[in-house]
Amino acid sequence: MKDFLRQNGILLLVIAFLLSVLIGVLSFVMGGKADPLSNLVNTVTAPVRSGIAAAADWVEGAYGYVFHYGEMEQELKDLRARVGELEEEVRQGEEASRENEQLRELLKFQTRRRELTTEPVKVTARSTSNWESTLTLSKGSDHGIEAGDCVITETGVLVGVVDKTGVNWSTVSTIINTDTEMGGIVTRTFSAGVLEGDFSLMNQGKLKLNYLPEGAQLVSGDEVLTSGRGDMFPSGLPVGHVEGVFTDPSGQTRYAVVIPSVKLDSLIEVFVIKDFEITE
Amino acid sequence: MTRRDFIHKWTVYALGLLPVWLLDAYILPRVPLFGTVVPMLLPLAAAAVAVLEGAYAGTGFGMAVGLLWELAYPGGFGGQVFYLALAGMAMGAVSQYALSQSFLGCLICSVGVLGLLDCLRVARMLFINAADLSDLLQVAVPEFLWSLAWTPLVWLLFRAIYNRVGGTKLA
Repeated sequence: MKDFLRQNGILLLVIAFLLSVLIGVLSFVMGGKADPLSNLVNTVTAPVRSGIAAAADWVEGAYGYVFHYGEMEQELKDLRARVGELEEEVRQGEEASRENEQLRELLKFQTRRRELTTEPVKVTARSTSNWESTLTLSKGSDHGIEAGDCVITETGVLVGVVDKTGVNWSTVSTIINTDTEMGGIVTRTFSAGVLEGDFSLMNQGKLKLNYLPEGAQLVSGDEVLTSGRGDMFPSGLPVGHVEGVFTDPSGQTRYAVVIPSVKLDSLIEVFVIKDFEITE
Repeated sequence: MTRRDFIHKWTVYALGLLPVWLLDAYILPRVPLFGTVVPMLLPLAAAAVAVLEGAYAGTGFGMAVGLLWELAYPGGFGGQVFYLALAGMAMGAVSQYALSQSFLGCLICSVGVLGLLDCLRVARMLFINAADLSDLLQVAVPEFLWSLAWTPLVWLLFRAIYNRVGGTKLA
């Protein structure tokens, strides 16, 4: 056995074991920052990733144009109609906003403010594993991106949270990933809960709004936003819509299944919120 | 085999690993085949080379593939380096002493390396109470089968490399 192992790479195996331990310790110690080895590999391979992403996006666009032209035309018609409806809502909203400002002034309330400092980034890779939901972005710590920063779409819909940063890349844990945990609130009822990723729901592209208050009367289609509790993440970012409300197997708490508003498999460009200031 | 031949041989194997890695990391995750299941091609590459080159080379190549997996993919914690080196050694030894350097041998080794990997993942998820066994199997089984379906392609690629530079052909 000793000879067998000596002839068959026991030394290599010992090196592999030590490398495993080293990578494990480094990734634990570095926390939200990539360990030096991962950083080096991902920094060197970033141009390859960006090139492939650009080519794949072009192919996807061309495929959509050729094979889904009819659908796109219909979608354009629907969107034009929706824009008309929204313009009307904006007009009404502006009026309500003015009234709200006047009332705030009258009651000497602080003006509501919402300032987000964002960084536009390209999505260069999507989940490579069936056991987690991640995205790789084209910018990292050299652009001021840090672990814990929220990632949104151009319309402000929540995509996920930056998990790890390298020099010119970063990885995002999406909202459906199992390690997601942030405050959520249902706009219609103001019921607050905790948005959590769940393994079985992740594979259906959904997540949970857990620990709902006992009397919460949620219905399918209710909008869910981030609550901003704990000031770690900005409040008011749209997350998705309630699909249904269920009681967990222990019978102790109720949770809602939330369908995210973001289409994670078709993201090309997203925005990282590097800093935020919200005055309610 | 001279040092130069050795470097030439393993450079060609590394170049062979390149398309497998690009396919695995950047192309297949964008192609929604069989729902959203993404295959794992890197363990297949380690299995193919271990079967063709034996235990010693299998350990080294497994370690290199494990390093690539840990460093270039998100969410690594180090375990894949040791797992694939150990698997490379085991697969190389099994193919040397019990199986043959054939596609069937590679397929059996691939079943072993993928099966054990998914079993370890399921066990870990059960241990941390992340999901029910049925939910975990709904991911593990399609992943295992869909990955296994790529064995012929990976085998043909590395077999072609082996035919040119493998074993002691450059000696």
